[in-house]
Amino acid sequence: MRSRNKIATICIYTALLGGAISCLIPMYWLIRSSFMLTEEMFRLPLILFPKKIRFQNYVEVFTMVPFAKFYANTLFVVTLNILGALISNLMIAYGLTRIEFKGRNLMFSLSIGTLMLPAYVQLIPLFLEWNWFGKINTFLPLIVPAFFGNAFFIFMLCQFLRSIPRAFDEAAFMDGANYPLILAKIIFPLAKPAIAVVAIFQFMFTWNDFMGPLLFLNDMDKYTLAIGIRTFISTFYTPWGVLMAAATLTILPLIVLFFSAQKYFISGLTLGGIKG
Amino acid sequence: MKRKVFICICIIALIGTGLCLANGQKEESADQVTLEYIYWGSPAEDAAVKQALAEFEAANPTIKVEPMYLPGDLDGSTYNAKMKALAVSNSLPDVGYFRPEEFGNYAENGYFLKLDELMARDGMDDSYLPQTWLKINNATYGAYTAAECQVMWYNRDVLKEAGVPTPPTDYKNAWSWDDFVTYLKMITIDSKGLHPDDAGFNPKDIARYGVSYDLWSTMYYPSVWSNGGDIIDTDGKTVHVDTPETIEAFQNLADLMNVHHVMPRMTGGTNVSPLTMLANGQLGFYVTGQWTLLDLGAMKELNYGVAALPILKESAQIYVSGVNVVFNATEHPEEAWTLQKWMMDPSKTLDLYTSGLWMPTKMSYYTDPEDLAKWLDNDVHPEGFKEAVVDSMAVSKNEPIMIKNINQIWGDYLNAAVESIWIGEKTAKQALTEAAEKIRKSGLLQGSY
Amino acid sequence: MSHSKKMGFNKKRQTLWGWILISPLCLGLTLWVAFPMGLSFFTSMTKWDMLGKAEFIGLKNYLIIFTQDELFLKSIRNTLYFTFLSLPLQLFIALAGALLLHSQVKGQRAFRTIFYLPSLIPIVVSSVMWLWLFNHQYGLINYFLNLLGFDRVQWIDSKHMVIPSLTIMNIWNVGNIIIIFLAGLQGIPNDLLEAVDIDGGRYWHKLRYVILPLLSPIILYNMIVNMIKCLQLFVEPYIMTNGGPVNSSLSFVLHIYNNAFKYGKMGTANAMAWVLFLLTMLISLVIFKTSSQWTYYEGDK
Repeated sequence: MRSRNKIATICIYTALLGGAISCLIPMYWLIRSSFMLTEEMFRLPLILFPKKIRFQNYVEVFTMVPFAKFYANTLFVVTLNILGALISNLMIAYGLTRIEFKGRNLMFSLSIGTLMLPAYVQLIPLFLEWNWFGKINTFLPLIVPAFFGNAFFIFMLCQFLRSIPRAFDEAAFMDGANYPLILAKIIFPLAKPAIAVVAIFQFMFTWNDFMGPLLFLNDMDKYTLAIGIRTFISTFYTPWGVLMAAATLTILPLIVLFFSAQKYFISGLTLGGIKG
Repeated sequence: MKRKVFICICIIALIGTGLCLANGQKEESADQVTLEYIYWGSPAEDAAVKQALAEFEAANPTIKVEPMYLPGDLDGSTYNAKMKALAVSNSLPDVGYFRPEEFGNYAENGYFLKLDELMARDGMDDSYLPQTWLKINNATYGAYTAAECQVMWYNRDVLKEAGVPTPPTDYKNAWSWDDFVTYLKMITIDSKGLHPDDAGFNPKDIARYGVSYDLWSTMYYPSVWSNGGDIIDTDGKTVHVDTPETIEAFQNLADLMNVHHVMPRMTGGTNVSPLTMLANGQLGFYVTGQWTLLDLGAMKELNYGVAALPILKESAQIYVSGVNVVFNATEHPEEAWTLQKWMMDPSKTLDLYTSGLWMPTKMSYYTDPEDLAKWLDNDVHPEGFKEAVVDSMAVSKNEPIMIKNINQIWGDYLNAAVESIWIGEKTAKQALTEAAEKIRKSGLLQGSY
Repeated sequence: MSHSKKMGFNKKRQTLWGWILISPLCLGLTLWVAFPMGLSFFTSMTKWDMLGKAEFIGLKNYLIIFTQDELFLKSIRNTLYFTFLSLPLQLFIALAGALLLHSQVKGQRAFRTIFYLPSLIPIVVSSVMWLWLFNHQYGLINYFLNLLGFDRVQWIDSKHMVIPSLTIMNIWNVGNIIIIFLAGLQGIPNDLLEAVDIDGGRYWHKLRYVILPLLSPIILYNMIVNMIKCLQLFVEPYIMTNGGPVNSSLSFVLHIYNNAFKYGKMGTANAMAWVLFLLTMLISLVIFKTSSQWTYYEGDK
């Protein structure tokens, strides 16, 4: 048994290392380039480690565009989006999977159906709608929709919730609980991995979304990071070094967040034996 | 504990929302006017424009300008998407840049202010190059922002090392195409130092190229015109793509890549910039738009020069630029026009010209030696710039933006046809003849504005 | 195990709570979906450039795109090629990756973060980065190929290799899918796995009889969602190849975008969008219907 385990372990590590390297190489290239002059980035033979580390690029990120403001704006929009996503999607998925009522399947199908719409075509009508509300050039169009559910997350949470045995719900009913209580005390803790996924994904979607801010925001002061980065890519000559610096700054918080949110995945949740 | 954090975030968010909503209102006092100015460009251009706008505000205390900046991209689709959204929702800016290829469409639909009376009143007619003003049905609706064209930069050190003589700067007496190709072969070497005509030359392993042409629609015109060909007639109805002259022009360019191996195949607008290659000594010549001088000038270590474009049959040049317009929907046409005039006046925005981004549209900046020196006499503009570039504008033809559907003709038919020539899949004759037939049958030839 | 009197609540209360809980969804569907879809469908029956007036022409757009627009059919073919190439590869590699990351190895946290890194990079930046990687002349990939003695390959510059190149990019990006699989693996009770051990089974048995069945709802989810994402391929061809070379990477949505924003043919663009919508629904229905054969829901009894 021991030797087989060893071989298996070696295989696993090799595969993991291989995958890790292929993911790290582009990251390394990104960070390396953020410290170089644009011309040096593309020179052959490849410069693996820049001789002169150029911190100037990072300074220019903040002087060329109001990058700090982009950061603040993005944090603001992202936080609200996560809030909206967590509240609405769990509620909706719970309703769709744990409660029997007429019309449930129809609503589920409608929700999935919205996944299939190409987003770009919806943008102009959405723009018209918000214009009618008079809220163009505010953050509202970027925030409010998150509170109304997102088929991507609803579908995912539904699949997760359907894996949780009904026995828990039934036990709780015996003890006299009602629906909201079950949702809060039983389902929520059990679905933590899925919820963590929702939070992380929503963070990422919003952090990197640029089509929305492009259409709904007019003032550069309100721009988020995603569209802010776009401003570096100019018609013919892009200051790549500065762009890479900006990109690195954009990615850093995501990495930190992700690394620390890991515990929701690692804390081995066992489903057996939990009573409400 | 977590719950408290949750609630805190909610409260912060709500307050923030409130602040944002409050920010969305525009405040205008009785005599203060606010204008929205829309524009695009690289961060360097953004800085220069903002500077000019700030100086305008200082000179006109009752007018405040809100800049609406969009990231620049090659085909303007970012701008176009935004503009469509703004147009549909009746929230257009007051004045600013506009994409040339959409100009005719929007003008015909009445989106721009008619400028003729204002121009006559302020004596603008004569002081600007006649090509500057854009007319639809004999009424002026816009002005070209600058006088841009095609140029050929080169790396002095590379040419010296390859033993190539200094290229001529007189546009009337530039190199012939055959001479040009010969010199390109002298510059091009593979990783073993062999030239394209040497035995054992490996076209798959080239270390330094002779030339790179920017391969997109606007940049083809000068070569095509230089050979006596054309794409679509200015009447918007006759297709000239399959004339022998046009075919030869495209074949010449393709041969640079596939036969002589002196030009790399570049696809995509954001690929490794030929400017970078030029700076790294991996390229000898670079044929591109004049506006790249802005970034070229910033490369202090590069020893660059300008050369006259090679002549196939006759000298040719293109006049291309973004357009400045005043939107009809503006509530303050007089102030908007004042801002427009300001941005068109080189003396108010001199940085944009000295840095190499633009060439002026005001006539005195070409005819008056003092004004000429104001924007040409600096480190950025290389020796010979006047003879090679400025003077060549005398033979320049406008980019054909007034032909209806020209964008779609390029997008649906010509781009693909031309690409198939570059990758060697078809000869220029095959590709262009097929494309011409398809265009004629497409129903897109609807004349011009 | 079904009770005749479910959950101790009567039907009325269930219905009430059901609708209350999904009320955001209903409102959302009305506000953000019904209106845009309605407008989109109406527009698809007009000829409109968004500047002038819309001209109602019925279903003509639909006819035209199928009979006269050869790029339309090409874009469908390109997109389907991409989808059927990428989807199985992505799912397989993601599942393998998730299983690897789930096993008890040292540095789990670090590995997971590393595998997820590619998805964190803004797509605008990663597209540009891959342009450089794929560059025929100076790209990293060809550089290594050269070092190993192989010839340089035309990646996105070649008609034949451009879709496979985009596939490679997509596979590099499977971090998202891995995370969802991981979350699913997390929910598999250990006692079931132990039971297999006790019965003398090996990893292969665990996989076949416990892990895969319990993971099947998630597999279905990833299949559907990523199929939709593949069909809606847009940003990479938009930034990297503009549909080239010679329209071999013109994806469905890119063609829609060009028609809407570059050529001002909103009616046509919307008609194409509806065709895409119907196509997506069709494929999803097929997957859903056949899924009951192989998916297993623990909580559905």
